Amino acid sequence: MQPPGTERPIIEFRDVSFTLPSSLGGMQVLSGLNLEIQQGEVLVLLGRSGAGKTTTLKLVNRLLLPTAGEVRVNGQVDGDVIRLRRSIGYVIQEVGLFPHFTVEGNVSLVPKAEGWPRERIGARVQELLQMVGLAAELASRYPHQLSGGQRQRVGVARALAADPAILLMDEPFGALDPLTRDELQREFLILQQRLHKTVVFVTHDLREALRLGSRIALLETGRLVAVLTPEDFLHSNDPRTSAYVKAFADGLDPMGNRGDS
Amino acid sequence: MSIRGHCRRGARDKLQFRRDFRTLRVRHVLFVALVLSLPAFLASCAGSHSDRVVIGSKNFTESLILGEIMAQQIEAHTSLKVERRFYLAGTYICHQAVLAGRIDMYPEYTGTALTAILKHNAVGDEESVYQQVKSEYERRFGLTITPAFGFNDTFAMEIRGEDARRLRIRTLSQAFPFARQWRAGFGYEFMERPDGYRGLAATYGLHFAGPPRTMDLGLLARALKDHQIDIAAGNATDGLIPALDLFVLEDDKHYFPPYEAVPVVRRQTLREHPEVERALAALAGQISDEEMQKLNYAVDGQHRDVTQLVRDFLRAKRLIQ
Amino acid sequence: MNVFQFMMQNRGQVLELTLQHLWLVGISTLFAVLIGVPLGIVIAHRPRLGKPVLAGANIIQTIPSLALFGFLLPLPWLGDRADRLAILALTLYALLPVIRNTFTGIRGVDPAVIEAGRGMGLTDSQLLFQVELPLALSVILSGARVAIVISVGVATIAAAIGAGGLGEFIFRGLAMVNNQVILAGAIPAAVLALAADLGVGWLERRLRPR
Repeated sequence: MQPPGTERPIIEFRDVSFTLPSSLGGMQVLSGLNLEIQQGEVLVLLGRSGAGKTTTLKLVNRLLLPTAGEVRVNGQVDGDVIRLRRSIGYVIQEVGLFPHFTVEGNVSLVPKAEGWPRERIGARVQELLQMVGLAAELASRYPHQLSGGQRQRVGVARALAADPAILLMDEPFGALDPLTRDELQREFLILQQRLHKTVVFVTHDLREALRLGSRIALLETGRLVAVLTPEDFLHSNDPRTSAYVKAFADGLDPMGNRGDS
Repeated sequence: MSIRGHCRRGARDKLQFRRDFRTLRVRHVLFVALVLSLPAFLASCAGSHSDRVVIGSKNFTESLILGEIMAQQIEAHTSLKVERRFYLAGTYICHQAVLAGRIDMYPEYTGTALTAILKHNAVGDEESVYQQVKSEYERRFGLTITPAFGFNDTFAMEIRGEDARRLRIRTLSQAFPFARQWRAGFGYEFMERPDGYRGLAATYGLHFAGPPRTMDLGLLARALKDHQIDIAAGNATDGLIPALDLFVLEDDKHYFPPYEAVPVVRRQTLREHPEVERALAALAGQISDEEMQKLNYAVDGQHRDVTQLVRDFLRAKRLIQ
Repeated sequence: MNVFQFMMQNRGQVLELTLQHLWLVGISTLFAVLIGVPLGIVIAHRPRLGKPVLAGANIIQTIPSLALFGFLLPLPWLGDRADRLAILALTLYALLPVIRNTFTGIRGVDPAVIEAGRGMGLTDSQLLFQVELPLALSVILSGARVAIVISVGVATIAAAIGAGGLGEFIFRGLAMVNNQVILAGAIPAAVLALAADLGVGWLERRLRPR
């Protein structure tokens, strides 16, 4: 993990607020968010439902636009949104694979849109399938023929296809059973060791945050409450963080270790 | 291993095609469009009647008889096959059909063509109406009006034959002094139309005994015969006129528009088959008012078969063998 | 002679009227799809427009077909030729099922798929042509199927205003009080409607996403 402040942050939130339009209730989802995300780190957005985690994530690839403040990615505020999104991998909980495309078709979506030559795409798909631990034969299968865990692996492969520098993940393992989730978390760590992507990871599960994150950003009702390393988070005296820790107490051993890292 | 690999590749190709087919919208749309427009090509091929002509008619007796006359005349004098499409539901239907080429010809009336199709006012005598209809049909629709059959199926003011002879009157003007003593009976349409009763009364200054009785057309002749009314408005070629000894007063002031029966033919048909024009021309002026009345009565009153009736009629006229 | 012998004997005419009928149905369905699918796409993405558009199409459908023909007859260019008029009326009748099914089909696409697609950087038109339309295709086709079946029926009535087609047999047969002639029009019309329903239905099933 890079020591903070030595380089320009790859993602910056400056005084960002987000309010829903009046037709949808007019609620203020985020207020005064200031956050810097460094290259190569895994920043976990932690918080309960409705805290504004997903909103924060979607501000990065401009699926949502801030109602105040700026969001800078690679130093840029404006610019071609399509270009931006194609340079960011996006993994969501429902996975969202195209049901009428094969695994290969799904994974190769962005490279195809970017006009990569056929052979390069084919080779890349094989490479990615191997990376996420899927058998090569699965390339010609359709999503409905895969298990939930396999589908999310394809989702990750799809997000990594064009080798983006940034990966956005919105509770990607939330819909999976605990065994599969554990497996995928482990594989995520191995992959991250290899690829060193900048990952913004949304979860409400503290154990997952402690296990995967290099820093944890705690959000509460639209405000950033704390940004701490996992160890600091566990041992912090801040009543808000300790409330969170207490709620997950039985999942953690007395030393506050988080499995393997 | 090699066999399984080969099979897997085949399955993949099929899936690949299906995926490409499904995402290639343009191809799909074109395919469907082609299927939908296929009938158009087929229809246009089948539509050109190369060796046959299609004759239409409206759905009342007189029109059927005229259509059959045209059909048998063409069958006898040309080598063309004739297809009959009778009982079409009215003027508009027939007009649309001949415009679209679904039929080649049908019998029409000059007055109807003038008012209902060309949408002009019903003014003019027989000759000027015929010429106007002929030239406008040619210009606007590419339809040719061949020479008229010879009768005028216009409105007929009928009185009992005995009254006509007793009073020695033949025309509507001559009827003027007697009108005040007559009770009149008219159909609903004649009462309503501006070129019906109202105009008639104005033109001839006719005033009847009391307001005219409105009744069903079919009952008028009977009511006249039975002395319930003394004058009725019917059609000039109604079969009951000779049958019940009724007399049609002449419209000497030419109030009623002419309704001369004429064949309406597609110009294209005449061009492709000039023999048709000759065959139809031979029918010109061959049917008088009285003859049409007799033909109508034979079918409506005596229930004779139309085909046989027409054959006998044309033979008697020496138009066919 | 029974109906089928009659139809065989007059097969030229039966075929000609059937083709005319198909032409009326085909061309009007094509127009309805060309207008209705894009319209359906627009309102699927802008639901607020959906209400007036669907309401309008619904009103048109509610008008009895003969009445609609009556309304259109006085129009200048269209009223002159019965087949133009019939095609316009048939197109109008076919609009509602096509628009409504396009709307439903596109809105029925899994929102997660759309979100993933958009997040990946697919443009709106790529989303439309690679995701939304292929996934909605089966539902859109089902709308076209309904449109075709309705059209076959309304086209039969169009003969009343002189547009030709199999209805001509039916009306002539009624005037002649001749059952064979009536059935020579009614049977092919019914067969056409059934065949279209089954044929397009088969296509729908083939294209349904798993």
